[in-house]
Amino acid sequence: MKVGVFKFSSCDGCQLAFFDLSEEILRLSEKLEILYFLEASSKNVYDSFDISFVEGSISTQEEIERIKSIRERSKVLVAIGACAVSGGIQSARNFENYEEVFKEVYKDLEMENVLRNAYPISRYVKVDFSLFGCPINSDALKEFLISTLLGKSPMEISYPVCLECKRKGNPCVVVLKNALCLGPITRAGCGALCPSFRRGCYGCYGPIDKPNIDGFEEKFGKIDEAIKVSFNAFNPTYRGVFYED
Amino acid sequence: MRIKVDALTRVEGEGALDILLENGTVKSLKLIIYEPPRFIEGILKGKSYEVIPEITARICGICPIAYQISGVQAIENAFGLSVPGEIETIRRLIYYGEWIHSHALHVFFLHLPDFFKVSSIMDLAKVNAEYVKVGLEIKKAGSSIIQTIGGRTSHPVSICAGGFSHLPEDVSHLKAEIEKALDLCVYVAEKLKDLPFPEFELKDVLFASITDKDYPILKGDIQIGQDIVKLEEFEDYFKEYEVEYSTAKRCQYKGKTYLVGPLARFNNAYEKLSPIALELSNRIGLHPPLLNPYKSLLVRMVEMVDSLERALKVVKNYKKPDPTRIEVKPKAYTGYGISEAPRGMLYHSYTFDEEGKILKANIVPPTSQNQDIMEKALVHLIPNLNMDEETVKESCESMIRNFDPCISCATHFLKVSIKR
Repeated sequence: MKVGVFKFSSCDGCQLAFFDLSEEILRLSEKLEILYFLEASSKNVYDSFDISFVEGSISTQEEIERIKSIRERSKVLVAIGACAVSGGIQSARNFENYEEVFKEVYKDLEMENVLRNAYPISRYVKVDFSLFGCPINSDALKEFLISTLLGKSPMEISYPVCLECKRKGNPCVVVLKNALCLGPITRAGCGALCPSFRRGCYGCYGPIDKPNIDGFEEKFGKIDEAIKVSFNAFNPTYRGVFYED
Repeated sequence: MRIKVDALTRVEGEGALDILLENGTVKSLKLIIYEPPRFIEGILKGKSYEVIPEITARICGICPIAYQISGVQAIENAFGLSVPGEIETIRRLIYYGEWIHSHALHVFFLHLPDFFKVSSIMDLAKVNAEYVKVGLEIKKAGSSIIQTIGGRTSHPVSICAGGFSHLPEDVSHLKAEIEKALDLCVYVAEKLKDLPFPEFELKDVLFASITDKDYPILKGDIQIGQDIVKLEEFEDYFKEYEVEYSTAKRCQYKGKTYLVGPLARFNNAYEKLSPIALELSNRIGLHPPLLNPYKSLLVRMVEMVDSLERALKVVKNYKKPDPTRIEVKPKAYTGYGISEAPRGMLYHSYTFDEEGKILKANIVPPTSQNQDIMEKALVHLIPNLNMDEETVKESCESMIRNFDPCISCATHFLKVSIKR
C-alpha cells in the first residue's frame, strides 16, 4: 500500500499521529510504504498513492491547485483533523471582516494568493473518509490503517461525547457547574477529554450528523454567540453558515 | 549559479531556500516561507481571554503548551494575579513533558538521520535500531506526563488562566517511565557525543533566554548577552525589521543578531542545569561558550535529562494543589507573558477591556527570532562547500535543522512569499 502524507494550512499537530505510530508503521513496513511525507523524510516520491492523508485547510490559490493534483494521484483521500475536515481555527476569519483581521497581523503587505476564507478540502475535491479531532487521535488513525489493510470498513463514530462521559462515569459538567458544554451535539472519539478535566467540551471533533441545535439553544442560548465568543470555531459547521463567500 | 530547495524536509511547516551564487560567493540567500498565514492575532481580537490557551495552542501542534503557558501568564499579568507556587510547579511539570516530547522528536526523528546519511527514522531503524527504540521510549515518557496533566499530547485541555481546570489525585504511575527514560537518555547522550559533528562556529551573535529560578523554562525577564531586559520592555528593545533580499520580517536586539533556543539557554544558564544534566554535559565535553550549532543535538539531550530529572522530583513529591485554580477577575489592562518553548523564547502580550475581551494581541515565536541567524549561518557555511549542487542543498538543509525551525509557528508573524 503506497501512502502519502500532505500538509496544507495547519499546525502540524495531526501529522504527529504518524510519529506516534512509528513502531506500528515500522512493523508494517512490508505492507505499508510511506512514499511522501515531507516532515518525516528528506526523500519523497510524488507519484501515485493508494491512500493520501491530508492535514490542513485550503487557504491559498496554490493550495487549491495542489489538493486537486493530489486527488488525481490518489485512490483514497483521507481528511485528517479539524482543519482538513471543516476549516479549522483559521476559518474563524470566515466570520470576521477579512481586512480587519489582516491588518491586525500584517501592516503593509499584499497577499494576492491568500483566500479571504479558509475552507475544508471537501470544497474542492472528493473526500473518501474523515478522521475527526483537533488534533486527531492516533488510535483512530491506527484503527483506520489496520482496517484498510484487512480490507474492512474503518470504524465511524457517530454518537455524541455525552456517551463517552457516561461510560467513564464523569459527573456531568452542565449539571455540576452549569458549564457551557458542546458535548451533547459533538462527535465522540476523544474519550470525553474536556469534561474529564471538569470543563465543557469545546467541540473540536465537530458536530454529530443530526445535532439537536434547538435543544442546545434552549439550554445555552444562541449557538452562534456561544461559538464565537466562548469556543473557537474549529468547526464552522456548528454555525449553519457554512461556505459563505 | 542558482540553487533552489523547493521544499525543506524534516522541519515543522513549509519553507524553501533560494540561493544565488556568483564566483563561489553568496550573492543572495533567501529562506522563503510559503506556509500560508493563519491570522491568529486577528482572530483573537474581540474574543474572551478564556479562549487564549485553546486558540494559541493551535499555532503549533508540537509546542502547544509553550503557547498556553506564555498566554495564561500574560492574562494573569494583565489581571494582576499571582498563581501559588504549588500550581506553578505543576505548570513546570507539564512543560518538562513538552520539552522531552518535542526534543526527542527533533533529535531522533528529524535531526539524527543527517548524521547517518539516511533520509528518515524509518531508514535509521535499518542501520541503528537501538537509537530509534530509545528515541521512542523517551518521547513516550514526555507524552505520558502531558497526557496525565493535560489529557492529550497535542493541544492539552487543562491549562487555564489561574491554574488548571482539574488535576489528577495521583501521578505515581509516571515514576517508573520517567526513571527509565532518564537512564536511557544519559546512556544515549554518551554515545551520541562521538557523532561526526562538522566544524562550524556561529559568529557575531548574542544569546537570549529568560531568567528563571532554575534552568530557564517557565518565566522571567530576558537575559541577552550581558544585558537584562524587563519583560514589560520586550517590545522596546526587540524590534522587527525588513531587508531588501527577503520577504520575511526578522527580530533584532538593538540592531544586533541574536539566537534563542537550546544553545542560547545552555550558554546563558549552564550552571543552573540539574545535577545529573550538569555532570553529563561535563562528561561529554560540553561547556559554554558553545558555538557549534550542530552540537545543539547534544544540548537537546542534556536538556531532556534536566527535564526528566526535575519531572521525576515533582512526580515523587506530587500533591494535588487545592484549589487547582485561583479565581480570575478581568481587568482592562495590558499584560505580558514569556516562557521558553523547546525552540526558544516565546513572547505574548494582550490588551483587554474590563470584561476580559481581547483588544490587541501580539505573539513573537522563537523561529521568527532565529530567522536572522539561520540565514547568516548559511551564508558563512556555503563558501566552505564544494559547489556541486546536491552537496550545497543537503548541507544547507542540514544546517537549518540544527535550529529546529518551526515554520508553522513563525508564519503567522513572518511576511509570506508564496513561491513554488
